[in-house]
Amino acid sequence: MTSPRVLLATPDFPPMPGGIQLLLAQLVRHAAWETTVVCFADEGADATTADLPAQVVRVPRARDHRRSIARLAVATAREIRRRRPDLVVSGHLVLAPAVVAVTRRPRAATVQFVYAKELAQRRRVVRQVLARIDATIAISDYSRNLALAAGAPRERLHLVLPGGGIDAPAPAQTLAREPTVVTVARLEDRYKGFDVVMRAMPLVRAEVHDARWVVVGNGSLRAELESTARHWGLGGYVSFLGAVDDATRDGVLRRSSVFVMPSRVPAGRGEGEGFGIVYLEAGAAGLPVVAADEGGATSAVLDGVTGLLCDPRDHVAVADRIVRLLTDPQLARRLGEAGYERQRELSWERMAREVDAVVRSLIAR
Amino acid sequence: MAQRLIHRGPDDGGVHVDPSSGVAIGARRLSIIDIEGGHQPLSNEDGTVWAALNGEIYNYPRLRRQLLGRGHQLTTQCDTEVLVHLYEDFGADLVHALEGMFAFVIWDSRREELVLARDRFGEKPLFYDTTAGELSFASELSALQAAGERGDIDALAVTGLLTLGYVPGPRTMYERVRQLPAGHVLRWPLAEQRATITRYWEMPPSASANTASLEVLVDETEDLLDRSVRSRLVADVPVGVLLSGGLDSTLVAALARRHTTDLKTFTVAYDSGVVNEDAPARVTSELLGSDHHELRLGASWIAEHVPALLSTLDQPIADPAFVALTAISQLAREQVTVVVGGEGADELFFGYPRYRWLARAQRLGRVVPPAPAHLAANLARRAAGGARAGRLADVLQPASPLLRNLGWITDGLLADRAGFYGPRMQDGGDRDDLRALVSELWGHGTGSALNASRLDQRLYLCDDILQKADRASMSMSLEMRTPFLERTLAEFSATVAPEIHMAGGGKNLLRRVLRRVLPAAGTGRKKTAFRVPVADWLRGPLAASVDEHVLHGRLVRDGWIEPAAGTHLVGRLATEDGAARELWPLFCVGTWLDAQA
Repeated sequence: MTSPRVLLATPDFPPMPGGIQLLLAQLVRHAAWETTVVCFADEGADATTADLPAQVVRVPRARDHRRSIARLAVATAREIRRRRPDLVVSGHLVLAPAVVAVTRRPRAATVQFVYAKELAQRRRVVRQVLARIDATIAISDYSRNLALAAGAPRERLHLVLPGGGIDAPAPAQTLAREPTVVTVARLEDRYKGFDVVMRAMPLVRAEVHDARWVVVGNGSLRAELESTARHWGLGGYVSFLGAVDDATRDGVLRRSSVFVMPSRVPAGRGEGEGFGIVYLEAGAAGLPVVAADEGGATSAVLDGVTGLLCDPRDHVAVADRIVRLLTDPQLARRLGEAGYERQRELSWERMAREVDAVVRSLIAR
Repeated sequence: MAQRLIHRGPDDGGVHVDPSSGVAIGARRLSIIDIEGGHQPLSNEDGTVWAALNGEIYNYPRLRRQLLGRGHQLTTQCDTEVLVHLYEDFGADLVHALEGMFAFVIWDSRREELVLARDRFGEKPLFYDTTAGELSFASELSALQAAGERGDIDALAVTGLLTLGYVPGPRTMYERVRQLPAGHVLRWPLAEQRATITRYWEMPPSASANTASLEVLVDETEDLLDRSVRSRLVADVPVGVLLSGGLDSTLVAALARRHTTDLKTFTVAYDSGVVNEDAPARVTSELLGSDHHELRLGASWIAEHVPALLSTLDQPIADPAFVALTAISQLAREQVTVVVGGEGADELFFGYPRYRWLARAQRLGRVVPPAPAHLAANLARRAAGGARAGRLADVLQPASPLLRNLGWITDGLLADRAGFYGPRMQDGGDRDDLRALVSELWGHGTGSALNASRLDQRLYLCDDILQKADRASMSMSLEMRTPFLERTLAEFSATVAPEIHMAGGGKNLLRRVLRRVLPAAGTGRKKTAFRVPVADWLRGPLAASVDEHVLHGRLVRDGWIEPAAGTHLVGRLATEDGAARELWPLFCVGTWLDAQA
């Protein structure tokens, strides 16, 4: 078969940061398709996607989110009519109604990516839309269960884990490491468990006296977190580095000992971590991981193999796992190495291959 | 000493004495979990670390599992035992692992150091005395006195009682004794003979950064409160709920109902007085299908019990609700050993109308210049009577938020009262000290409602509400638990903007949770303070005691107040219920003073 002509419509795409953005860009990069991307025009757009093997149609944002989405939906419909792709990939459920409507006649196959949060909103619409989509791709067991609960037809539901990691050689094990706990995340969502790590740190320090916590990332929670850290007297050993470029981030990861992000599933809503690509990125740096035993992290981190999972609400348990990894270098190395191997196996190429198989099976029908 | 605390722990007692250092730890126990195995004090495997605990560690099952996973040998199911082993791993930092209400002591014989700690909000009391180069400590002041000399009465404590209605910590009724503040650890290395006191926790600064939708905030509140209630229902003995019929206790009872089929509820009612809370409580109990018990407090009960209650307290509490709480504890103890209550909800979730008035005053102050505001206040004061008009005048009157709030929480009683104070209080220095103590605790935020709620958490909640709950329940050998003071729930409340909390008449989030959990419960009910018919009591069943303790007791004899002050108040009381606000504290302090031989 020649390269399928695929149109990817998504509100989330680089240069905006985030897991979905990264996943979709890597898909475009590694899938052997003739791809058109319809997404928002954000500052710095050309620089980050200049070398992507795709035509990128950028739509200016409107003055609020709802209008922006409407504008993107209109542009998506227009591009589908104009380009007549073999298949349309919807990067977020919010665009699915438009995609479903426009691909009925002339017929084009449709693929929908699902994550977590969006599956719990507007349940009736979600159910109707998923019934009409040809294939739904969930990115973790957690996300798959949420999709099933939201009414996605089981026979059309596929599980494709994201890739992750960094194109880097195996980390040098001789690198001397301070006992440093690291978190990489946008500081926007409380469910990521910054509060729990903050409560855990005094206990970690009681056993590992020179342990530090480094937080990479920026967001609206930063001021609050910094002020709580100061207030609780943690200021001396907790640092917030803000947003950094990828190379700096990788450098920080490589100088750290344990990656921690105990993302919980918030009450009453199917939110939380859809998967957590960042856990694989930690693996790429050879870091063992402490994560939650619930939500998407259970697909990203293998308990006892690449990291230690625990109740993400229990700061004493989180402290216990961190201390275990800081004080048992053999265990930390074993988990770190397994994490490195796993992120290599779960490469972006592998993900693109699996999505491509779904795409080609639909087009062949 | 421990014998003085038998009411706090009638089931068991023990003492550990370290002969080489002379350190002694005594404990009394009210058996709630592991009734057979929890003898205190208890030690680690080799007897080098000893601990005694007053209170409850709610996360002890998890801590225990974790300690076992780390290779510790635990032989009981008792929460005190986890303290010993946590201490082995974390030292004094073990406090960071604990969720619960506690005051504990740990004796580390290797380091020759005593470690004392008190829970985050001060649910459990802890008194200590370091004079004479020795450390003595106890859960109640009375036990401490048994150990040594009593010393002088602290005039600041008396000032606090007569104005605020309670002794503001860390002060106590005796000058030489202090309370360990909530969220603090005290270390006493034997070699140094000196106490080091450090704070290990306080409420995080409110960043008001929680931008989640109201629905999400309500989800979160419900989830956290539900988890907290569930953890506080764990006991090997029957558990009940103290139901006032108000929002907080109704919510706690409704959530408790989810986790237990056999729910007992208790309420108190007054035979006289304005507000009678029995009706809403009964309606709630019917909605919940609980086994409801009601106590009617009549004049004979008041006459018979109140003077004795006040005189046996380790230090006075001049909050009239203490009487009702003790009575209901007595009733509840006949059926259960543990009760849960709604304490802390008003301070954490902005329940008091005062917060909204402070916010209004702050908004007004921004737009109205001082001179016209002053004029408007005077007009409002003259125009109409009633508490609301008075409040309005207060709001219009230009003043600093701190002083405005101080005026309200003391009902203006900190002002000079000509002819009131006796020679011991006349110079007014203690009133200045009290003002300074309050200013220190006043928050540093930009919103006066937020600052006032922070002050209340550290002062009113800790030194009145929780002391009252502890003494009332423990005097009946009943344990009282407070789900609203769970740490994560409290910290979560601090992330929500005061404006969101105060919307719709305060406790916005809690009202919305109740609407979900128990839709039939009327949540529109206005907050009615737990108003006890004190004036009726003072005029009726307690009149003779007032005569004895206010007019002719040590209060006057020792020079705390002028003889005419009491007479004047008793005269006013004949026609004016409001005089009870001033007379009740005098009665409480007077009764207590006269009981101290």
